[in-house]
Order: sequence, then C-alpha cells, then structure tokens
Amino acid sequence: MSNTADHADSHSSLVVDNKKLLMWLFLGSDCMFFGTLISTHLIYRKLYPDSFEPTTLFSLELTSFSTFILLMSSFLMALAVSAMHKGQLKSFRRNTLGVIFFGLIFLGCQVYEFAHFVHEDLTLQTNTFGSTFYMMTGTHGVHVAIGIFWLICMYFYSHTGKMDAHESAVDVEVAGLYWHFVDIVWIVIFTAVYLVEFIPEI
Amino acid sequence: MSHTETEIPTPKTNPTQEPEVLKAERSNLGMLRPDHNKSVIIDWLTTVDHKKIGIMYGAIALFFLLVGGLEALIIRTQLAVPENDLISAQRYNQLFTMHGTTMIFLAVMPLNAAFFNFLVPLQIGARDVAFPRINSLSLWTFVAGAIVINFGWLLQALEVMGLFEAKGATAGMTDLVPAGGWFGYAPLTSTDFSGAGTDFWIMGLQILGIASLSASMNFIVTIINMRAPGMKMMRLPVFTWMTLVTSLLIVFAFPAITVALGQLMFDRVWNTNFFNVAGGGQPILWQHLFWIFGHPEVYILVLPAMGMISEVLPTFSKKPLFGYSIVVFSGAVIGFLGFAVWSHHMFTTGLGKVATAAFSLLTMAIAVPTGVKIFNWVGTLWGGRVRFSAPMIFALGFVWMFMMGGFSGIMHAAAPADAQQQDSYFVIAHFHYVIMGGIFLALVSGIYYWMPKVFGKMWVGNLSTWVAVLVVVGLNVTFFPMHFLGLLGMPRRTHTYLEGFGWETYNMVCTIGAYVLAVGILLLLVDMVRCIRKGTPAGNDPWNARTLEWSTTSPPQAYNFAKTPVIPARDALWEHKYGPENRRITYEEDHGHGVHMPSQSWMPLIASIGFIPLGLGMSMMQAGVPFMGYVAIFGLVVVCVGLALWALEGPGGYHLHPEEG
Amino acid sequence: MTTFVTKGPVAEAQYDLFMLTVWVTFGIFLLVGSVYIVAIIKFRERPNDDRPMPSQGHGNPLVEIGLIGASILLLVVIAVPTLKAIWFTHDTPDDPESYLGTWYSGEGLAEEEAENPLIVKVIGYQWWWAFEYPQLGITTANEMVIPAGKVVHLELRSVDVIHSFWLPRIAGKVDLIPGRTNSMWIQAGDNFARWKEKQALQGEGPELREQYATYLEEEIHDYYYGQCAEFCGESHARMLFRATVVGDDAFAAWVASEKEGHRPPDNKTWEEWYAVYDKNPDALTGDLNEGLKIFMDRGKCATCHVVKGNPRALGVAGPNLTNVGSRLSIAAGWLNHHTEEAVIDPEQQYENFYKWIDQTNVVKPGNLMWKANGGGIGELTDENGDLALLTDDEIHKLSLYLQSLQ
Repeated sequence: MSNTADHADSHSSLVVDNKKLLMWLFLGSDCMFFGTLISTHLIYRKLYPDSFEPTTLFSLELTSFSTFILLMSSFLMALAVSAMHKGQLKSFRRNTLGVIFFGLIFLGCQVYEFAHFVHEDLTLQTNTFGSTFYMMTGTHGVHVAIGIFWLICMYFYSHTGKMDAHESAVDVEVAGLYWHFVDIVWIVIFTAVYLVEFIPEI
Repeated sequence: MSHTETEIPTPKTNPTQEPEVLKAERSNLGMLRPDHNKSVIIDWLTTVDHKKIGIMYGAIALFFLLVGGLEALIIRTQLAVPENDLISAQRYNQLFTMHGTTMIFLAVMPLNAAFFNFLVPLQIGARDVAFPRINSLSLWTFVAGAIVINFGWLLQALEVMGLFEAKGATAGMTDLVPAGGWFGYAPLTSTDFSGAGTDFWIMGLQILGIASLSASMNFIVTIINMRAPGMKMMRLPVFTWMTLVTSLLIVFAFPAITVALGQLMFDRVWNTNFFNVAGGGQPILWQHLFWIFGHPEVYILVLPAMGMISEVLPTFSKKPLFGYSIVVFSGAVIGFLGFAVWSHHMFTTGLGKVATAAFSLLTMAIAVPTGVKIFNWVGTLWGGRVRFSAPMIFALGFVWMFMMGGFSGIMHAAAPADAQQQDSYFVIAHFHYVIMGGIFLALVSGIYYWMPKVFGKMWVGNLSTWVAVLVVVGLNVTFFPMHFLGLLGMPRRTHTYLEGFGWETYNMVCTIGAYVLAVGILLLLVDMVRCIRKGTPAGNDPWNARTLEWSTTSPPQAYNFAKTPVIPARDALWEHKYGPENRRITYEEDHGHGVHMPSQSWMPLIASIGFIPLGLGMSMMQAGVPFMGYVAIFGLVVVCVGLALWALEGPGGYHLHPEEG
Repeated sequence: MTTFVTKGPVAEAQYDLFMLTVWVTFGIFLLVGSVYIVAIIKFRERPNDDRPMPSQGHGNPLVEIGLIGASILLLVVIAVPTLKAIWFTHDTPDDPESYLGTWYSGEGLAEEEAENPLIVKVIGYQWWWAFEYPQLGITTANEMVIPAGKVVHLELRSVDVIHSFWLPRIAGKVDLIPGRTNSMWIQAGDNFARWKEKQALQGEGPELREQYATYLEEEIHDYYYGQCAEFCGESHARMLFRATVVGDDAFAAWVASEKEGHRPPDNKTWEEWYAVYDKNPDALTGDLNEGLKIFMDRGKCATCHVVKGNPRALGVAGPNLTNVGSRLSIAAGWLNHHTEEAVIDPEQQYENFYKWIDQTNVVKPGNLMWKANGGGIGELTDENGDLALLTDDEIHKLSLYLQSLQ
C-alpha cells in the first residue's frame, strides 16, 4: 500500500513493522467506531413499541451458521499468513481462496437475512431497533466486503510474480490482522445484538 | 558566555545539479513517476516531502484563518449596536456556524498539522514520515473536505448574483450554507429544520475526519518507529510528545463523530430514527456522541500549542524545561482525562445529579495536570536568562492568557455556576481566551520561532512587537468584556439583542477590539511575507536552540539529514554545543548507497479529488437533485481507483548522495 | 437579565458558588501571576550580559509534588460547595409554605393537589413559549405569572428542537429537549424561614409576617426577563419570555381572569354573537366587532390561537391569546410596550400589534404565522386564489381587537 521499509529508514528498537503498527492503530480506531455503533444499539434496542419482538425475527440457526463460517475463515486466514511466511505461494493461494469463499458465504447469509427482515417489515425506518441494527450490521458487512476485495487483489497479485516471502508476508499479515478483527467484531455483535434478545428480562 | 560551539557538519550539496543527474523512473504500472519534474506546480501537487506538505498545510490554514476571521468581523459588526439589521438572522447563523467550523477544522487543526509535518521528522532525526504518500493523501483530502464544507458559500454567492435558484430540479437546494452551529445539535439539523447546508457540513466533516485520521496514524507510526538511534521516548522534544498524544486523541476520538455524522446522514437521507423523536430516537444521543469527540477535540487543539511553548520557553531562557517528564506525563493525563469529561458540555440537559457531580469533579481534576504545566513553565523561566525575542514574547503572552482561560474553565466546572454561564457570552469569553489567547498566540510564537528554519530567512525589523501589542490588546479588548456580557444575561448565537439590558457598551467595545485584533493578524501576515522576501540568511541555528531540527540546514534539504544522527541525550543540540564531550551528536556512516528518497506520486491527489464529487453528490442527493447519486458513485470510484493504482504502482524511490565538504 | 442581582435561592446558590470560584482562582492567579512576572523581570537577559550560563536544572520533584498537592487542596475547596449546590439546586424542596393549599385562595383546586407546590409545564416552540398550569387548568404564552416566595416546580418539554429555559435573576438554565421531560425548580424571593434567617430574626408574630410581606412587595414583585439560551434556529435571538412575580392574592386574581376568558364586544354572550355572525355578519359593526370577524375568518387567526371563552378559537399551533392585551410584551418578548413602572403604554401596544401582524416575517423571520404552508397570514388569498394580504384597515381593526383582550 505504501512506502516499504526495504531501505532501512526505521531505527526503532521496537520491532513492529510500520505497516503493522498502522493497521493496529486503524483497528484501535475501528474499535471505537464499532463500540459507538454497538452501544448506540444497546441504548436504543428498547426504545421501540412493545408490539415489536426481535426474537420472532431472528433465526439463531442461520446466524450461528454464518458466525461459524466467519470463524473458520479466520482459521484459513491464519493458515494463509503462515504459508506466506514460509514462502509457500500455492498453499497461500489455496487458503486465501478459502477465506474469500467463506467470506462470500457470510455476506450471502447477511443479504438473505436482510431481505428476510425487510420482508417481515423491519426496515431502516420501522423503529430505532431497525435503524441501529441495519446500520451496525451493514457497517460490519461493508468491512467484510472490503476485506474480500482486498484478498481478491492479493490473490491476483500473487500471480504477477512480484510477491516475495519477506516483504509480502508483512502485507498478508496486515490483511490477516484486519480479517481477524472483523471476525472478532462479529462475535461481539452476535452476542450483544442477537443472543441478548433471547435472554428474558434484559 | 562560553562559546564552546562545535561546528555542525553540514552537507554542501549543490541542489541545482540533482535534476540533471536524476531521471524519473517508471512505476510498476509502467507510468513515468512525477519525480524530479521541472514544473513547480506538478512538483508540489505530487510531493511526498513532509516539509512541502507542511508548508502547504500552513498556507491553506492561514487562508482559512482569514476566512474565519472575516466571518467573525461580520458577526461583531452586526452585534456592535442593538437591534442592528446589517445582516439577516439566517445569514448570521450561517456566519457563526461557519466561523466555528472553519476556525477549528480548517484553521487551527491544519496549522497544527503544518507544524507536525514540518517538525516531527526533523525533531526525531528521520528522513521523512513513515508513510509519505499517506501524508500527501491527508493533505489533499483535507483540501477536498474544506471545499465540500464551503461549497454552500459558492452556491449562496451564485444565488445572490441571480445565477442560481432553488427551483425545478434543484428545488431542494434551499438553506445553502450550514446554519446549525459547529455542534450541529439534533434535531435542529434534521430535514425538518434545515436544508442543503447541513448536508455539505456533514459530508465535509466526514472527509476532514478521514484526513485527520490518516494523518494522525501516520504520525504515531513515525514517532514510534522512525526515531534516530538513541532518540529514546524520554529524549523526544516535548512538541513531538504532544504530537503523539494529540494523534492518539484523534485516532480514538474521531470515530465517535464519524458514527454520529453517519447516523445524522442516515436520518436525513433514509429517514431513519436515530434522532427522530416520533420514531423513538433520542436527540440527546447526538450530544453525547458529539462531545465524546468534541471534548478531546479541545485537547487536540491545545496540546500541540503546549508543546510549542515547551520548546520556545527553554530556548529563550537558556535552561532545560523544568520537569520534562512531568510535563510529558501531564500532557498524557490531560489527553486521557479528556475522554472522561464530555458531559460538562451538557450540564443543563438534565443529566441527573449524580452524573452532574461526577463530571463536575472530573472536570476539576483536569485542572491539575493543566496547572502542572503552567507551574513548570514558570519554573523554566526561574533562574534562566530570559531573552525577549519575538517567539518568546508570544510564548510569555500565551502563558498569561491561557491561565485566564483556564480559570474561567474552573468556574464552568462548578456545575451549578455553569447553569448561569452555559450558552452565554461567558462561555465565548472562556474558550476564546483558550483558543485565541492560548492556542493562537502559541501558533504565532511557533511561526516566529520556526519560520527561519522553514524558509532559511531571518525576520527583518521589529514588526513583531507591533503584532504582539495589537493581538494581545485586541484579544483582551474583544474577549474580556464578554465575561460580563454573559453574566449580564446575554445568550450566545443571537443575531441581535434588545436595548436596555446594559449590553450596549460592552458589545461596542468587543467589536472595536475585534478590529484591533484583525489589524494585528494582518500585520503578522505582512511580517511573514517580508521575512520570506527580504529576510537575511538565517543559518542553521539562529536562536541558539536546543533540539535536533536546528542542527541541519535552514531550510533543510529534501533528505533532512545527510547522515543519520545518533542522539546521546535529551535537548540533543544543546548538549552537543554546551554539554560534556560524550554528549556530542555523532553521525552514522553511510554505506555508499546514499539517502533513500520516496518517489512522488499522483495517486494520493487523485484519490483525494474523488472525495469532492463523493461529498457533493451525497449532499445534493439528499436535496433531491437528479443524478447526484451517480455523481457520488463516480466520486467513490475515483477514490477506489486512486487507491488501487497507488497500491499497484509500488513505492519506488531513488537515492541521493549528499556530498560532504 | 443580570445574574449579579439574584432574586431567589437557586440563582443565589449559583451566584455564591460562582463567586467562590472567582475568589479561589483569583487568588491562584495573583500568586502564580506575580511569581511569573517576577521571574520574567528578575531573570531577564541584560544588555551585554556576560554572566555564566544559568544552571541547567531539570526540575525539582519536591516542588512539583507540593504544587500538585496544593492545587488538589484548592480544588477541594471548590468541590465541596459544588456538590452541595448541585444537590440543592436539583431537588425541588418540600416546603409546606409553598403547598398550593397553603397559599392559593382561588377556586378549582383539586384536593389531591393541595399538598403540592405549583407546577408549571413549560413547552418550547420555535420561537415562543407555552406555560401550562395543569393544577389550575389554564394556559398562557410567553409571559408566565408566579407567586412570590413560593417554590414552583417546572416541567420542561419541547415540541420541535432543543430550547433552554433561562431566567437569569431567578435561576440558571435547564434545556427543553424533544422526547424527554426535564424538570427544575424556581423560587422568586425567599420564603419566610429563609428570610428570617438572613435577617437574623426569630419568632412568628404578625409583625414579622408584615415585614416579610413588605420585603416581597418591595424587592421581589417585579417583571423578570428570560430568554431561550440554546440555539434553536433562525429566530433564536427573538425567543424571549417574561415572568411576572406577584403576591398570593394577585396570583389568584390572575388565575381567575385567565379561567374566565373573554366575552365578545357589546356585552353579548358568545351564542348571541355567533348567532348574528353566522346569519348576518354585516350587522356586527364597530372596530372591535370588525376586528373579531377578521380574527375568525379573513385572518384565519382562530385556526392556530386559543382565546378562552370563544368557543370557535381553539387552534393550538400558536400561542394562547387569552388576556394578550394585558401582557406587557408580544412576539415572545421581542416587542415591548410598557413603561418603566411596568404599566402598559396603549399607544406603543397598538403599534406593536400592528407591526407584528403587518411584518411578522421581519420581526421574527421564519416563523410559522407568516408561512405555515398554506395557513399563514403571509399566504392569505382571495376567492380566486390570488395573494391577498391583510389591508392596513384590517390590521388596524385586528390590532384594536387584540388590544381589547384584557
């Protein structure tokens, strides 16, 4: 993405690579971002009329399935990173394709879910629950989509022959950091948004 | 005085030779890189040099300082006499909204960024920032945001000239300039109560947020990773430390406003219910999110100023900063506590007494680290040798004015007293003492201090004394009476007022003061132009300063340091000049491959330009102008294409071989 | 509007706390400021200064810790009274003297309200105020009337954007936020006990009571200025209000007159007047009758305004106009027509009504009465649908009629 560190400009005693540090900072910022979205949802989730009952809408089976898929994609991502470190380009490609495939399944589930909810009359406009729910999960979906796009670019880039085990491993690792983060955020959302609704009296 | 100065090795390169030697290479995409271009314009548009980027930030910020100042002058002229009808109510609302937005986001923050850019790599002994192209992206994205946010003025001007009318396809384009205040409280910013101006404001701020976030992440990585050997964290100049804290604040505070603006945009464009009471929304949510960002923002503005003062005072007292580690630590504490006091902006919203009490006490607590800084500055002067050069005069003024602003801050912290002061002119007096008396004076001090380094020219004559007198007198005459106006019951953000409440004289005095202040600021610009045009060569170290940036040439070469310096101590240059033998700055041997320079690039500029159609398209789409959705998508595509080509073109780079004499 | 001359315990507590912060900070300012000035003068560089380099000390931890400790101590001096004042100004006090049943002598008070203080619902609109007295069943606008020396509990709501209720001499502000109800308490003047305490008097005698009554009458009965303090849109600057503080009897009399409302001109009942109006409106002559007719039809005033008594003036989009002729100001406090002794100046009052109807959009730009999407007086039309604003003569008669609503 940017100026590489191949010319030893860095004199730091800390060993975190520039790009990785940048990604960590971005993720810190993104934490606050999702934190704000999720807390808005938690404050707003009860500000709707009593007649609305999200548990009738949610399908825990489907969401658990897509959560599992996303978790597995993180596993494949870890394998891809490790393959790249070892310079095993083929294994990297295979695992990356797996991540992309699983990510697409997750997005597909989300699109299906959104379509289903809209059909059941929960839209952005229906109530505060709808507004916060779609904005938050939608933002997460956009993060996943960006991640998939990024990995697709990397997959094709790996065919140009310009990837080397040293420099590109860092790039792949940075993408991996991002992917794992998006995965963790989903686990928080799954707990704080989906599961919470099934606990009575909260 | 003992003159044991040793010669600083300065590279004697002949820069005019370089373009002949160096030819632009091709990027990974096969396109010619804009390196070593003979066209000055292309060179500046594509530059990745932190010094050039810093200068551009500074120039643009000064331009917007004048714009915001002009807005303020019109405001003050309108308020000079009661029941004045110089401008309409709505024009007044537009002016104070844009005055606040401009001064905070387009003048003070970029002026701080100018100093970050120019100084941080020099102060830590680095060749450039960690990500030079991201730095360029931050600059141009900031410009794109500034254009989007001010676009309403352009349309408004066209409307006044009769060239634009809100009818037909553009029927929704009413209320063109943002008029909801810089704080944009919902539901006044909903579609029921405001028009297209609010959309420009939302999109403009979002774009500026991207610029600020990318810039601050870049600076954090730079400061943590790019320090010269031996430049330990506790040897960093305080200004660099404050840059680090400020950048961290931006990284963690901006997401809150990004979400809030996103929610507001959803409300406006897609009729969601975030701030819509009828749909169950709570307008108070906006205030919480806004101030979770907004209060750290105050420290984002002031901490760099504190850093500059902590550089200037020691230099002109010939003493190290008193209690370096405590000054650094208190800066960090201020930054941290800054996240825990946002609700003191909301004491009158009915928080309940426990929350009010908690935020009241926390706000008082933040006075402690702030006080510590002031004690340490006084301690720095004590026992020193105070030299009244121009930068020092402004720095001394800063300490005094900032104290006054701080004390009225303590008065607000007492929540019941704040119930009378909130939203009155007392608050305006308070934060203008902090921003004008504090931050602005520090920035002027910084300009006088570092301009010789930036342009290699020394100041001519004594105009700075006049600037100091006019600015300090002007700002006190303008803002001191406002304390009384507020206590006499004059609310903020009112375009006019009735006669007979005893406000007339005070208002007239404030207005006169504002003009004095304006003259002072114009003189400052005159002095700057004079310095650049007629200044005498400054030499490396005109102020007998302490930190690393003064060890290299003025202006610094593109590569900053011919050889990487090795830092033996805090106040590296001072120790080098006056310290014991073992504290000399040494230089790493260059192993023959010269200085690696990053290649220039068109891509950050292209990606940034995409934000303009994206922002304007989204704004006008809300107002119902046809095809604007496509314009926004076009903008997004430009941004994405710019970023993708950026990734593919490769970092490039070339080597310079500074010859040593 | 000054906050320096306080006329009630809330403003007083806020002012006292403010002055405490002023003195404490002023003390620090003097101390630090003088050390600062001494440092600058004493350690300045002199011409041809050849003294040796100052000692390069990096600071003194003991001094630092001492100063931090001192700052914390000084903050505690402020913090304790702050906490006290937060609790004091937040909770509506339970004061038997303020119970409605104790002092209110008028009619129509439900028994269960006898042990409550007076409640006023303050509702903010762009850009005017409604004041409802739910216990007494009356509503007024822009000029509230409250009893001297009694606790009044305010419930603050807004129907559009955020406003803020600020009555500087009586109490600091609390916001009116759509979607929630805030509350605050105000009290104009001290109650008997507090007054005695301040005067260092004791006992219960009728003489003391008389002295207290004189205090209220001379120092507290007044016409207080208030203003919206939160930016609320185009005409925010012109959203003022007033509070008239009166004695118990005057308050009861005011309530009675508000409840009674108005009769039509010529001493008719409303049935009689409408009987003529419906069949043969031309028979209703005279400026006041003409004015009332314009109020009902041509000017469409009754669509948005209530006039108590008039069975067909029931609109609630605009301010309640009952007794608007006895208010000392109109247009939410922007147009004033009273002498310094708070007595109405009729000529000025007429001019203000005329100006307000004639140039609503100038006096308060953006307001609903001028353009209400087909209902405002800036959009009045004739039978053909052409714009037909009120004529000078119509405005004249309407103004006279409104003036008569006393």
